[in-house]
Order: sequence, then structure tokens, then C-alpha cells
Amino acid sequence: MRKLEQEPDTYDEKFTALTKGVNIKVKDWIIEQIGTSNSILEVGCGTGVLAANMALKGNEVIAIDRNFQMINTAMKNYPTEKEVKLTYQIGTVTEMPGEESSKDIIVSTFMLSELRPFEQQIFLRNAWKKLKQNGKLIIGAEFVPSGFWKIVFGIKRWWYKKKLRRLRLPSTSRVKWFTNYLEPIGFKIVVKEKWKHGSIQALELEKVVKSAENEPGYYRPAPRRFKGFKGQMQIYKCIFTGQADHIPIEPGIYQSGQPDERSPVIATANYLYTYIRVMRALKGVDAWVLCVDSRGINVWCAARGDDFGNKQLIEAVETSGIEKVTTRKTLILPQLSAGGVAAPLISSEAPNFPFNLLYGPVWAKDLPQFLKDRPAKKPDKWKLARFTSSHRLRAFITHTTFLLRKIFLWPTIGLLVLLSVLSFIHPFWISKFWRIGEIWLWIILTNALIMLLFPLSNFTRCFVKKGIFFGILNTMLLGGITWLLHSSLYLIFWNACFYFWLAFFFTMSFSGYTMATSPGEIQEEYPTFRKIHLPLLIIGVILMLSGIILF
Amino acid sequence: MIKITLKPSSITIQIELPKISIDQGLCTGCGICGEVCPFGIPQSNSNGKFEIVEPERCTECSACKRNCPAMAVLLQERKGCGCLWDARARSKNPQGDSCCG
Repeated sequence: MRKLEQEPDTYDEKFTALTKGVNIKVKDWIIEQIGTSNSILEVGCGTGVLAANMALKGNEVIAIDRNFQMINTAMKNYPTEKEVKLTYQIGTVTEMPGEESSKDIIVSTFMLSELRPFEQQIFLRNAWKKLKQNGKLIIGAEFVPSGFWKIVFGIKRWWYKKKLRRLRLPSTSRVKWFTNYLEPIGFKIVVKEKWKHGSIQALELEKVVKSAENEPGYYRPAPRRFKGFKGQMQIYKCIFTGQADHIPIEPGIYQSGQPDERSPVIATANYLYTYIRVMRALKGVDAWVLCVDSRGINVWCAARGDDFGNKQLIEAVETSGIEKVTTRKTLILPQLSAGGVAAPLISSEAPNFPFNLLYGPVWAKDLPQFLKDRPAKKPDKWKLARFTSSHRLRAFITHTTFLLRKIFLWPTIGLLVLLSVLSFIHPFWISKFWRIGEIWLWIILTNALIMLLFPLSNFTRCFVKKGIFFGILNTMLLGGITWLLHSSLYLIFWNACFYFWLAFFFTMSFSGYTMATSPGEIQEEYPTFRKIHLPLLIIGVILMLSGIILF
Repeated sequence: MIKITLKPSSITIQIELPKISIDQGLCTGCGICGEVCPFGIPQSNSNGKFEIVEPERCTECSACKRNCPAMAVLLQERKGCGCLWDARARSKNPQGDSCCG
């Protein structure tokens, strides 16, 4: 939808085409639900079609949108046929206009999927505050349907996601956990209407006041298992898909053991792997674990890419209500989040921030001892990040699967199809199928070589030089393997350039795991890398394919 | 490091600063930088303040800079995570998103 938002003039038309007209049905349904003479707030009004219609029905409407151009377009379509009480203004879910307990109805259509999980909770909590007693919140949105249609929906979403990725646009998120938030925050579903097998739904929610202090409640995600077979499988899943996939878990408060108000509070990222490692490390320790919404990215990468910073931390603390469960005044952060979090600025960015920040150890495994000792200065083993052999082994697995999936999958399929066609024409080609397996073996071996001998390349920080170093070693290694398999010097000659390219390219691609380079250095090296990489690749592939044909 | 190049028509002065340094006048010696740096580059010196040893090993993560209460760390902050794919994405679209999972 963000793509459509860029052109407000055609937004309605294109969005109607995208939902096959269901958006109009949703709007008609909402118009039916609301009465007259109500005080209504619309959040995410877009081009103002719904707001105008609600106002024409005799309601007092304030409509907000975060997009300035949308407000502009809405103003152009301001109803002129009769006098209406309708105001458009810029606003977001965090800054809704109006007094507390002043609205009869709050309406929002097709906005939820633009919000991250915490933002959805903020939206619900703020809407709760603005609504009068027994006020209504009416929501129309894209939901994940159940049963068979879940699969159809999944495929469609995957397709859109791929398309948006190509256009380099952020795609909307699935509204996965939304209905879980309703009851704890203080809403009950009164009416539910479904379209397109439940992939688009409208909900009419009623505000429920539970506590005496007249505050919305807080949502806490269900405990998540991290032990046993399933946990281990999830660990493997993350190691095998690491570089390519983000795997988020629900952000929010989790418990290790049976924490009470004196137990330490630990913050971490909401990447599944991170969560499991932290929870396993905390075995036998009673603690609160606050997962901030880092979009399913690990702490180090999230901190460096604006996904784990003050903004996310403040949001997590405010939305989860963590200060209500503890009397502690210290929040322990992973040390590697320091690249994103700026502790001295937190009090100016959030004046009521209830915690002091303390950076814990680099690795989760040292957390229990850290919590016991609470040293003023951490010993080196807790604060230095070393690229040890066990890290290298995991990096090797992740990197190999990443390359096979993202770089070599389609060329392999292409080669298989080509060889199948050729085999039909002439049986000579059948014997060549093995060579594809051999290429995959080279990929794995090249990665293994880089992983095993990486410390040897510490003579330089320049990854182009490291790449050349491993290129030479790899040509010797794979040349030897080819000699064992084919006993042909000619074949080694034809393949040599490709061997070199493999290691050169893989070394560069491996750089992200090593913590041995910086964005500045690698960005400076990138043009040189390209100059070497492209000719090598082209010549290498041509020679290797000729080798397959000739030998 | 200062490089001065003399050409017939012009003089170019190229000043290459180290990637990272700590302003000794501002540093209070609190040691936060040493606690957050995952490579142990900031070290205390004989004046009770902190200085950068081996600046070339810095990965520009900016942890020390962001968390220094005296704003004594001099570092050009760069977005990105120091991997090839990030560099590639940024060479195409400097304002883009981070790449990794």
C-alpha cells in the first residue's frame, strides 16, 4: 500500500483494484454501523472518502493521516453539497487529537498492516483513552484467514513481497497477533464481518473498563518455548536461514523462571535465535526479559541498521508496561546494542523513562555470572567480541546456505533444465549431470576453506586482498580435488578462473560475519571489488562451461 | 596524517584523520567507551583518561560515541554493517535499509 500512497490522486482507484472492490464494501458497512450526531475520529483517513461520508451523515468528524499529501488530496475532495463538521489534520497513532474520553467512535480502515506490533498496541491503548465509556472502535483491515485460505493468502503475500522488494519499498506486515491484544488492553468484539474468506475483516470493538484507575491494560505475549526438540529445531532453522531471513517473535515481556518485582530486567532483540539463546543462558535465573521490536534482526545488525536504538527501546518500555512489574531501576542491555542505543540521550528523548541503562556482557552465556557479580568494570572476556572457531563454524553454515539459496539456486535450476533438454536430443549429455553436483561441492569446499583458514588472512584488513589470498589457495585446493576426480590437467585449466572467482567472491560476502571490517572500509573497497569481480565471473563461467562441454 | 601534493597548477592538501579518536580535553575518564567497545580499542592512559589504541581495528559501530556522556569521541558515523551486501545496497541506494537477518 505504501507504493500506492506515493500517488494520492490514483490511490483510491488502484487500491480498489487491489482489493477487487472489497474496500468499498468495508466502507459501506462502516457507514451503516455508525449512527448520526456522534463525535468520530478517523485514524489513517487516506483520501477522505469515508470521513466525508460519515460527516455527510451528520457526525462530527476529525480525520487524521500521517501523510501530508493524502491530507491535501482529502481537502480537495471536501464535501460541498451541504454543511458538514469535518476537520482534516496530520496525525499518527501516537499523537491522536482530542481530549481523553471524548469520542463516541474511532474508525480506522486498512491501516493496521502499516503498523508494527507495538504500534498496533499503542494505537489500541490511545484509542481506548480517547473513547468515552462504552465507545466503539471500528476497524477494517487485512487479516490472515484460517484453514485452506491461509495458504492461498500466504502465497499472495509472498508474491507481493517479492514485487515490492524489487521496487525497494517496504511492504506491509501481516496482522498476525492483533486479536490477542484486544482483551488485555480493554476491548471486546461486538460484531465481526468477513470478506474474501476472512482475508479482509471489519471488527466493531467496544471499550471495556476493567481497572479502577481508568487506564488501558497491557498486553503480554504468551510464554514461548525454547527448550527441547522444537527449540533445537528452531535454532537450526535460524542458523540455516540466518543471513537471508528475519525471524521475528512477538515483542514484549517474557519471563525466565518465576521473576518478582526484585528480579533483574534484561532487554534483547526479537530475533528468534537471540531469544532462544538468551532464555537458555538464563536457565535457573529468575528475570524479566523484554524483547524490543528489532524486526526479527539480531542485536548487532539491528543496532547498526536503526532497528535497535533509543526509539525501539523507549517504545518497548512504554508499550509493554515493564515498569509496572518491577521495582528495579536498572535495565540491562546487550553490550552490542550500544551501537544503536545512546544512553546519555534517553532522558531527553523520553523524560519519564523509568530505567537507568547498563550494558551487560557481549554474549548471552555470560549473563548469569554478570547478574551475580555486577562488576563496575567488565573483564575482557565479557566485553570483547572475538570471531572464534565456533562462530566461524556457524557462519560457515549460514553463509553456505545463503549462497546456495540466493545466488546459485536459479543458475542450478537453469543448468538442470538445459541439460535435461540436451539429454533428450543426445544421450551424451546424461553423464554431465554429475558436474552440477560437483559445482555445489566446490561451493561448500570453498566456504569451508575460508572458514578454516580465515585467521591466516589477518595479515591485512583489506577484503579484496583477503579475497585474492583465498582465491589462490582455493584454486590449488579445488584443482587438487579435480585432479583426484578427473585426472585431467586440461580440466583444471578450464576451471581455474572459476575456482578463483568463487573464493574471491565468497570472501567478500563473508566479511559481514567477521567483525573485521567497517562500513566505511567495505564501501570504499566495493568499487575495486566490482572491477575485479565482474570480469572474473564472466570469464570464469564461460571457461567452466566450455570445460563441461569439452571434458 | 597530512599529505601535500604539489602540481604545476595547484596545491592539494589532503588531511587524513584517524578513523576514530578521543578528545583528551573533553574526556572525563569515566570508562564507558571501554565498556561498550567490543574490540577493546579505548584504553586508559597514564593521565587517567581514555585514548584509542589501534584505530584501524575500529568497525565504526559508534557505540562509544553514542554512549560517551562528555561527547569526547570523534568519529564519522556511518550507517551499515560492514558486509558486502550492505555496501552493494548502499552503492545503489545510499538511504536504503539494512540488509541482514
